[in-house]
Amino acid sequence: MAAYHRPSTIGAALELLAAPDRVALAGGTLLNADRAPSRLEAVDLQALGLNRIETVGGGVRIGAMATLGEMSESPAVPDRLRAVARAEAPSTLRTLATVGGLVARRRPDSLLLAALLAHRGRVALAGPDGENEEDLARVLGEGVPAGTLITAATIDPTGAVAVAATGRTPADVPIVAAYGRRADGAVAVALTGVAPVPVLADGSDPTAGLVPEGDFRGSAEYRLELARVLTRRVTEELAAAGDEGER
Amino acid sequence: MEIAFELNGAPAVVEAAPHESLRAVLRRLGMFSVHYGSDSGETGAAAVLFDGKLASADVISAAQADGHAVTTVEALNVSPELDPIQAAFAAVGAFQSGYSAGAMILGAKALLEADPDPSEAAIRDMLSGILDRETAYAKPVEAVKRAAAVLRGDRPEPFGPLVLEPMTDGVRPTAVSPDDEPPAGPASVPRLVPSREVPDMAVVGRPEVKVDAVRLAKGNPAFTDDIEPRGMLYAKVLRSPHAHARITRIDDSKARGMPGVRAVLHHGNTPRVKYASGGQSWPNPHPYDQVSFDDKVRHVGDRVAAVAADTVEIAAEAVRLIEVDYEVLPAVFDEREAMAPGAPVIHDEDDTHHICDPERNLVHHITARRGDLESAFATAPHAFEQTFRVHQVQQCPIEPHISVAWLDSDERMVVRTATQVPFHTRRMLAPLIGMDIKDIRVIKPRIGGGFGAKQEMLIEDIVAHLAIATRRPVRLELDRAEEFYASRTRHPQTITFRTAVDHDGKLLAQDMYVLGNTGPYGTHGFTVQIVSGLRGLSSYNASAKRFTCDVVYTNIPVPGAYRGYGGPQGEFALEAHMEDVARALGADVIDFKRLNWVKVGDEMDIAPHLGERAPAEGELDEYPKIMSSGIEECMAQGLRESGWHRRNDPAWKRPADRPHIRRGIGFAFAMHGTAIPFLDMGGCSIKLNDDGSFNMLIGATDLGTGADTVIGQIAAEVLGVPLDDIKVYSSDTDVTPFDTGAYASSTTYISGTAALRAAEAVRKRLKERAAMLLEIDEPCTIELRNRRAHAPDGRSVSLEEIALDSLHMQEHEQIMGTASHVSPDCPPPFGAQLAEVEVDVETGQVTVTKLVMAVDCGVAINPITASGQVEGGMTQALGYAHCEEMVLDDEGRMVNPSFGPYKIYRADEMPETVVYLVQTMEDSGPFGAKAVAEIPKDGVAPAVRNAILDATGVAINDLPFTPERVWRALRAHA
Repeated sequence: MAAYHRPSTIGAALELLAAPDRVALAGGTLLNADRAPSRLEAVDLQALGLNRIETVGGGVRIGAMATLGEMSESPAVPDRLRAVARAEAPSTLRTLATVGGLVARRRPDSLLLAALLAHRGRVALAGPDGENEEDLARVLGEGVPAGTLITAATIDPTGAVAVAATGRTPADVPIVAAYGRRADGAVAVALTGVAPVPVLADGSDPTAGLVPEGDFRGSAEYRLELARVLTRRVTEELAAAGDEGER
Repeated sequence: MEIAFELNGAPAVVEAAPHESLRAVLRRLGMFSVHYGSDSGETGAAAVLFDGKLASADVISAAQADGHAVTTVEALNVSPELDPIQAAFAAVGAFQSGYSAGAMILGAKALLEADPDPSEAAIRDMLSGILDRETAYAKPVEAVKRAAAVLRGDRPEPFGPLVLEPMTDGVRPTAVSPDDEPPAGPASVPRLVPSREVPDMAVVGRPEVKVDAVRLAKGNPAFTDDIEPRGMLYAKVLRSPHAHARITRIDDSKARGMPGVRAVLHHGNTPRVKYASGGQSWPNPHPYDQVSFDDKVRHVGDRVAAVAADTVEIAAEAVRLIEVDYEVLPAVFDEREAMAPGAPVIHDEDDTHHICDPERNLVHHITARRGDLESAFATAPHAFEQTFRVHQVQQCPIEPHISVAWLDSDERMVVRTATQVPFHTRRMLAPLIGMDIKDIRVIKPRIGGGFGAKQEMLIEDIVAHLAIATRRPVRLELDRAEEFYASRTRHPQTITFRTAVDHDGKLLAQDMYVLGNTGPYGTHGFTVQIVSGLRGLSSYNASAKRFTCDVVYTNIPVPGAYRGYGGPQGEFALEAHMEDVARALGADVIDFKRLNWVKVGDEMDIAPHLGERAPAEGELDEYPKIMSSGIEECMAQGLRESGWHRRNDPAWKRPADRPHIRRGIGFAFAMHGTAIPFLDMGGCSIKLNDDGSFNMLIGATDLGTGADTVIGQIAAEVLGVPLDDIKVYSSDTDVTPFDTGAYASSTTYISGTAALRAAEAVRKRLKERAAMLLEIDEPCTIELRNRRAHAPDGRSVSLEEIALDSLHMQEHEQIMGTASHVSPDCPPPFGAQLAEVEVDVETGQVTVTKLVMAVDCGVAINPITASGQVEGGMTQALGYAHCEEMVLDDEGRMVNPSFGPYKIYRADEMPETVVYLVQTMEDSGPFGAKAVAEIPKDGVAPAVRNAILDATGVAINDLPFTPERVWRALRAHA
């Protein structure tokens, strides 16, 4: 980093970020890990008051600067989702990594992003004209719109949940994972590891339209097979849980 | 910019650059407990409490920390005594190298402040961000539980082994009843099965706290990077982007012109002196195929140039400014292709000698044989052949390679370095830098793990060259990616076994062919492969044996020494093959192996033919024999602990509630060596101090293994004093006696015997002086115990009185003893390795749920450090079997040079690990000891493989058992 800024208002942050070679610094687990010389200037968002996690209406609003650790301990967040937040990063990084940073980073293998998708995640974005909300799926697909700043993610915390994943070891970042949620009788399954970003799957044909990119942990063919198997498992588990499970 | 924050409760104000990490700033402020493991924070070695929460200081910028509270473990160092949390970690042997001790202690502090009685899951979750390459996390978990108990006001029992009754007579097998439950106890506690032949001793065999526990628990400056000479420069290395290329032009003018750059070295300005970098005894095995900087590069990451500059950042930028033109050459990576016609010739220079066939990339062709193999196969009723492939992994010490070199006031070269081989390094460095050995001093401080990667003169020549060029101290530390692709790794191999068996299931012949991949340089390439042969052909008796091996050059990152040293490769193939032979014969696998494995009195017939200086064939006058083996006790304890009988329980193997899961248990017979006979040598010097304590100087190199402690215990036992009265100083070539170094499972056995003999010499003189003071004619009747010399008539004199008398009163002398030791023997430790797995037959995911190792290491001098070696070794071996792999792309670039993509086990995903120490009395070892450090690396991969076979009926002969590989094997089988 060539320079460091710590604005205290969202307006000041947006103004700083509007200049070239400026980059938002959330938890720093990604940005600060790269020690190569850079012209970039960091705009640290820690003083913006964006770390609250609260119940708003029927949903939960998770501030963009709330850490994964804070999310994993918040009583406002459903148990299974807390566990997923905890598993997203090890102890020494989850105290730094933020929900906003997670969304901005758009990692294809993030189970927490898949979970937010299944919980009808939306992203609050602050821009020059104020704050508005976008579907998380759209933000993941298209990236954070230029000139805006993630201020929160909101989710519907209700419903029954099932998770299935395949990795090299129990705590490995899954090669492919399925996060299923059943609410109001409808099942949504989000998948990781089968597309450039986590995606909501078609329950009847979970691999429809997917063209995963293979790597050393799993070929495209294998990832599609995992998508089928893991989607079936979470779907069956949610079906077995029935309406009672939603409560 | 100015940063103000709270550090350990006090205000701190520092100047920091915007790019600087909090780790760098804390170290600059003298917080040496905060260690570098990587820049991306995933090792946790630099974790601190950030506003009370555990967080990696690698990925917190100093600027971010402005206004926050930071706590390091130094905050606990308010008195000479240890804080209760530090004390708990020391008490249970939770540290090996202690490189990440500060992070673990701080994590425990934060956890216990939030929850005074945390669950084991919560403790493991806390530890999930601190990678430990040395333990299986069992003892750190126990330390947190113990600290919690102490802080709650409980007084836990002293930590020690769980002593068990033997299940056998030590010789004959015994049947294990399914109703026989294994003993209950925490996983961190070794189960110790004593031998009647081993007497009770005062210090040996006791769970003594490590002699370096205080400095490690407090995070005191103990490691290479913790001392910074004034005016120190920082080095960076320009590395090759190509797997194979000739350097046609190099222009360093822009780099040299950059302010702050003090030297730039490359092949154009550095003497061309050929060497082999493996840290081995003189004369190092040929070929000498390396130079400090060459005009040809042979793997991605190979050295091109090095820069010394005022800061790391300037050095890194200068490296980028060096202009290099390459003539890119074809490359070859797979050992099975290296000798093919048309394969690129990797060593085409004319000044490398003793390559077997450079045109075919064949470095060595090795053979050894006993008996008439051809007749045995021609007449055998059963013959079997299988081929196995083992892959490339990295040692992954959390402390990367780091060296600091400077010229002292006498113009001698001093190198403070993270090495396992300080004496070899001194000798090998001398010709490269044009100095005499006498003008070089190599100091080994504490090391943050080595595992063989540091049995190498890897970067010491670079810092020494730069120190000469600049006449200033120079420091070079590898980053994590460099540690992966530019240090050393485990040799990949393709291994073929042929076995001939008679009608009764007895082996008639075994024939092993190893095609070893030594990468671009031959370092350790010869010896590692012969150890594969040694391990592959020593475990079972057969009247005819043959070992054939081709070692080839390729363009992969350089293989070298890695704990186990060829053993894990050979034993994976052997134990998988023997399992399959048993199944093919319809025999019980344990009965079949037991019928054939070596027993007390059997000759180790191939061993003398497989050595650096061994004859390949022909009868020798004498062959070494097995003199001690506790394998039957290991088997009984291991089978009971594993619940072996469940292999025959369909309800257990196919759990009704998880229809896609199959369970299995696998076994591997493990056998290793103890030191290299007639080669490994250790020295020790002991002197008496005024107060009756002793200084002990040893060349042995403690990597975190506890060698200083164990060798101190041996001396303390002889001298009749507590361990605390032995002050151990190890590994400084100017000060301590010679030692070959920490490798080949030799330290306790070789260096420990040197210490035993030096202590015996001191004891003899102490008795003589005591006899003089007590006016007794026969000094040999005097016994040393409890810091006193006791006469048979009940009178005694203290060692302090003897010291004061001899140093100050009469017939003045310094009572001291010096000894060295080399052994003609190589007594093997034995072990029963068992693994329990669950296989998801739909996805191929393998979950290892339990590892059991019952090991006969002779007498464990310290059962806690010994069990720590087994726990940690098994965990590394589990990674080898299950999830670790260096992956190269088509151009030879490693695609996963960071933790995460390169997966090593962390605390919250470990299987249960249980260790049994089965005592035997090995008369050739100090107080009966044999080796323990490497045998845990041998059996895990075949045991997991055989467990998968037990669970699914599918045999997989390639490592590692990653989900897609298993899934494809299951599909092919179906």
